[in-house]
Amino acid sequence: MEASGNPLVRRGVIWYLMTTSLVLILMMAFGVIMLLNQGNLINITPEWFYKIMTAHGIGMVGVAALGGTAIMWYFLSKYLKINPVIFLINFTCSIIGVILILIAIFAYDFSDAWTFLYPLPFQSTKAYGVLGALLFLFGVLILGVGYLIMYFYLAGRLIKEYGGLGKSLGWDYIFRGKKGYGPPPAVVATTMVIITNSTAIIAGAIVIIGSILNIINPAITMDPMLAKHLTYAFGHIFCNATIYMAVIAVYEVLAKYTSRPWKSNKAFLIAWNASTLFTLMIYTHHLLMDFAVPTWMLIIGQVFSYANGLPVMVVTAYGALMIVYRSGIKWDFASSLLFLSMFGWVAGAIPAIIDATIVVNHVMHNTKWVPGHFHTYMGMGVIAMILGFMYYFNKTEGSMKHSRIDTFSISLFFTFFVGIVGSFLYAGSISVPRRWAEHMPEWVLSDQVGALSGVFVVLATILMTIRFFACLKNVERPS
Amino acid sequence: MYQTIALFLTVFFEFLLALAFAFVYGESKRKAEYAPIQEKGYKIRTYWFFGLIGVMGIATVLTLDELPYHGSHAEATTTAETKVVDVVGIQYNWEMSEESFKVGDKVEFVVTAKDVTHGFGLYTEDLELVAQTQAMPEYKNSVYFTFTEPGTYKILCLEYCSIGHHVMVKEITVQP
Ligand code: HEM
Ligand SMILES: [Cu+2]
Ligand SMILES: [Cu+2]
Repeated sequence: MEASGNPLVRRGVIWYLMTTSLVLILMMAFGVIMLLNQGNLINITPEWFYKIMTAHGIGMVGVAALGGTAIMWYFLSKYLKINPVIFLINFTCSIIGVILILIAIFAYDFSDAWTFLYPLPFQSTKAYGVLGALLFLFGVLILGVGYLIMYFYLAGRLIKEYGGLGKSLGWDYIFRGKKGYGPPPAVVATTMVIITNSTAIIAGAIVIIGSILNIINPAITMDPMLAKHLTYAFGHIFCNATIYMAVIAVYEVLAKYTSRPWKSNKAFLIAWNASTLFTLMIYTHHLLMDFAVPTWMLIIGQVFSYANGLPVMVVTAYGALMIVYRSGIKWDFASSLLFLSMFGWVAGAIPAIIDATIVVNHVMHNTKWVPGHFHTYMGMGVIAMILGFMYYFNKTEGSMKHSRIDTFSISLFFTFFVGIVGSFLYAGSISVPRRWAEHMPEWVLSDQVGALSGVFVVLATILMTIRFFACLKNVERPS
Repeated sequence: MYQTIALFLTVFFEFLLALAFAFVYGESKRKAEYAPIQEKGYKIRTYWFFGLIGVMGIATVLTLDELPYHGSHAEATTTAETKVVDVVGIQYNWEMSEESFKVGDKVEFVVTAKDVTHGFGLYTEDLELVAQTQAMPEYKNSVYFTFTEPGTYKILCLEYCSIGHHVMVKEITVQP
């Protein structure tokens, strides 16, 4: 057994994963409620729909980030001495943030979506009072600060250990012709996430603080376009970072299962450097329909969104296929979920890249196409990675064994997640707008298909979560 | 039209992707030396890389010359004068300086908002989205559209603007 050594890390990972899985189920149920309402199968007020939508959006992003962090910390701690207290501080900040956010939404009627596009939160205070908006914004801010503390700490550790973030990104091998392999993939991925996501959170903090000041004193205003740039620099990068943290599980677990090395060779390092750069550049594809943005910026948005597909398609997903090919791998819950998660990631990147084409975006932006593609790489990508890691953790640190029920729940999850994203993408292709509490009769069929699929996905997730919890007791008492 | 292309391409590429994963899964039970697989794999990868660059390059060239940001494209296709229509979004309504049009009208919608950001989405009678731009306070975005079919068109709000977002719909008519 290869335990992670530090019992505090193990405890922390358990807390992260327990929170992640429980909140995930709740948020999925919220998703089904939205679809039932759009599909005219139940009837909730628009106020409730948009509250639930706000909770689902921020909750799911939070879940993906928590799960991704657990993966990153768990594997990184094998290569680098890192203080688990920081891991727990981040957890605490997230929990405080989530509680404030939930109070804001359900006690003080905040419903301005997780993207809180300025000046909407201020406008809404006229109807609902300032408390909801302030609690929500402070909640997101605290959550972000937790991550920032963690990233700065990790940056410090990496600089100390490797002599700089450039070094832990493998610049010696790319630019100075150093031979051999670079730092472990977990270290390279962590460096990428530190750079991109710290930038994102700082951008987010600026626009959140601006919004808070604007609510407290309406005389203080921001430029709405600048605010939108900052909001999407935050939202886009933060969501992407969840994948780049969670993918560490794919590198580690597939390499272990196939007994083949997955090392950072030059192509690997170049790919991760390209991802770092592109991820910072391409958030402008959220502003393609803001014609007032300089055209060159929007063309960059299109061209580099395409380019950003290359590292995953050519290196990471391709590498996963290569390492599995004729490896005699043993397929169990962990390896199959992580293998499938690479499919989910690329499958989501395809419609995303198509939508980043300006002429396509002109008739598909803010239609259901958008949730269609991000549910693919979040649900079948990041969440699949996290669920796979939950099994792996239980197996490695405890004594969990694959059973038939796991094959069943994994098949159920993927089959019906295809149903959800298929119904979203189809709806997008017939111009159904996103974020509409009520749908026109022409649209409801796709919602009903989505709702039915959603019920089975929730079921599958509950099954996997029960298995996770049931086997945890063996982790508590290491054999 | 672009919607159909997007859906078709997505289904097509995802089918190929699924085939690739299924193939590798099928081959995963056999066991072979990794070094020769890697050597061959890296060779194939070079083709794969340049193939992707090629596809993306072609898509870029094909799609970047007709951007919706300027009226120049609309001007080239018709000789009629451009009708300028002011559009203002305000929770939950569209105020427009003109609401009925004729087939053949080439229209420049100059779009802005008073309170929060909204999204101007022009839908045909069969609810197909044919043009959009953001309606942002303090900014004016011009989006061009030439009406070629008569009917009742709709403006739908395409940016979340609080709880009345989905009722922010306005009908405009286009006479033959
Ligand atoms: C059972 C699974 C799920 C169902 C049924 C579901 C359903 C939905 C629905 C109906 C919407 C609103 C669509 C609209 O704009 O009309 C939505 C939005 C969203 N979902 Fe999910 N979802 C699921 C899983 C997930 C997962 C796993 C994630 C991410 C990890 C996620 C993240 C989001 C986000 C970020 C939004 C955007 C919220 C907004 O527009 O403000 N969802 N989902
Ligand atoms: Cu609106
Ligand atoms: Cu709206």
